[in-house]
Amino acid sequence: MKISLSDIKAKYRELFVVEKSPEEANKPKDIKKMASDFWNGKPHEERRLGDLYVGNTGLYKHREWRGVKDTMYYFNMIWLYNYAHMVSDIMKYGHGPKGVVTFAKGTMRYRWMGQTYLTVMHWFDRGLEGTRGEAMKASAWHYRGMVSETIRQFMRMFEADKKLNGGEENETWKKTIAHNETLSGNIFYGWRDQLDDVALEMIPYFVSVHVNNHTVLNYIDAAQSIGLPADPCPMCQAEYGLFVQDDYPDYSPVMLTTNEACDGSVATSVLQDWFLNRPLYAMPQPMRYDDPLVQKHCQKEIEGAWKFVEENFGIKMDWDQYVKHAQSFNKLTEFEWEKWDVAANTPYYPINGVAQALYRIYYSQDGDRPIWHEMDEHVRRIMNKTVKNKIVTFPKTRHRAIAWSCAPLYYSNWCTWAYNCWGINCVINMDSLMFDQYLRTDTYEHALEDLSWFNEKAPMRAMAVGGHEHILSLFDYMERFNCDMVIMYDQLQCKGMQGIHGVFEDEFRKRNIHAIWVPHALPDKRTVSRAEIRDIINDYMFTVMREEPLDPSLLDFDDSMSW
Amino acid sequence: MKTIGKVFFKILGIAALIYGILFAVFYWDLDGKFLYYIWEPMMIKRFDNMERKDATAMPYSMKESVEADFEA
Repeated sequence: MKISLSDIKAKYRELFVVEKSPEEANKPKDIKKMASDFWNGKPHEERRLGDLYVGNTGLYKHREWRGVKDTMYYFNMIWLYNYAHMVSDIMKYGHGPKGVVTFAKGTMRYRWMGQTYLTVMHWFDRGLEGTRGEAMKASAWHYRGMVSETIRQFMRMFEADKKLNGGEENETWKKTIAHNETLSGNIFYGWRDQLDDVALEMIPYFVSVHVNNHTVLNYIDAAQSIGLPADPCPMCQAEYGLFVQDDYPDYSPVMLTTNEACDGSVATSVLQDWFLNRPLYAMPQPMRYDDPLVQKHCQKEIEGAWKFVEENFGIKMDWDQYVKHAQSFNKLTEFEWEKWDVAANTPYYPINGVAQALYRIYYSQDGDRPIWHEMDEHVRRIMNKTVKNKIVTFPKTRHRAIAWSCAPLYYSNWCTWAYNCWGINCVINMDSLMFDQYLRTDTYEHALEDLSWFNEKAPMRAMAVGGHEHILSLFDYMERFNCDMVIMYDQLQCKGMQGIHGVFEDEFRKRNIHAIWVPHALPDKRTVSRAEIRDIINDYMFTVMREEPLDPSLLDFDDSMSW
Repeated sequence: MKTIGKVFFKILGIAALIYGILFAVFYWDLDGKFLYYIWEPMMIKRFDNMERKDATAMPYSMKESVEADFEA
């Protein structure tokens, strides 16, 4: 193939040159303004962030210039800091330099690793686009926590993995508990000093979709290729697609499953039971979970899970360990309440919508780990500063939105776009409000009761499929968080939420609430594209709200092939 | 003393050069472009062609009998 100079020039322009409009190009040069833009960054309305994208890839011709201070912070304390800490985390959790070899083996073996996670800094970029100052810093700390915990989990999986270790059942394999991602890590506190628990699908499926949504499509297609129906929840399809493609790490002698978040997960349990062929304990939770008559049953299920672990690993549950971690986790809950208080009642909350949603669902599902406490301390310092100094963290807020139901995983950063384009500030979301349960540890009975409640308030169960009174608690939260707009996720393959669609329509009308329905298919971007989601919001903002965008370059752009 | 100073400035120069190169990689999104245009296609090719165990070949009956009663 012959490559000419003009081809190279065209490629260079495509990849690196931000094209200016004729009006922009013909404007007389204002040196003072240019110096101010260089030093402080451009004002929100002049940024034209949409011009920075390379075609439909989501890549940047150049990363955003945020002014000297914020650009250097982003470069040093987010980009460089995270790349460097990724390496150090790999060595830390891989027990020294040999961790790099373990990591390389996992990268070359698993698609969800090799194709997905190396693109992680673009996940930061997408989520933090347009943020400045304390909002940029605090949100980035949340991302850092998620990255570190992801590395801890996949390094544990790789170290124990029979497939990477020549079929050997090593000591780490014998001391690792595998469980569904929707079964809370809190269940296993009693063994944290002797065993470790790692959710099986959290890293290969859930987090991977947020970082790079290309990979998951293979697993969805694999599930359908063996004749499994295409219309159930694509989360369940992707979870068992991992097994169809033999792309799951074999890191534990046992498996604990659950029907959380909804009964769609039952199929995942059944298929995992077949594919894994090892002792499996299913810990189902009732759909009408707050019926007083089911509480004893839920507690017995947890005790059954404990007995299963004791029998299979030959290690008794250590009550003191449970108490230690439950109390430590309560500190995370207390800080979460502080955050909600600031988010609900002030304009000084420094976490953006996507960081809030992902960090909360991740740590509450994962359970007590040192990294969450470390990150919370960073965020606490920043939040104290913004509150004390009355720093308005999202100054272009026109609407305070609450996002309800389950979010599009392939476009969790829609709220970053919505703020940059329209000034819609997604203050809180449904997933953040789950697991709202303090864990008492004064007696065994109280501990079991609260742990049971905690598990029953898992993602999507509590407010999506756990009964209409919980689903409609949206309106109470809307008031509590001082929101004037609802972004109503419409997961097209969620039978539970589809069933109550009309009730919401009626309630929105009755209460005269601005609500934008956002259809999506959870991890699968092929059903409703990101551009279609933006179009729906654009249409509502133009036609119903009669508003003009803050940044018109973000109205219409193609990111169909973006991570 | 002069030699120490020379070595110090040389190290400082090299560090500044590396820092500058890293900033260029960051600013021009060269890490993203490398991963998107080179790394990811390479990985897709690798994983598409990888030989995998046919997980569906596992007979349903292989499952060990599991204790039915875990009632506490």
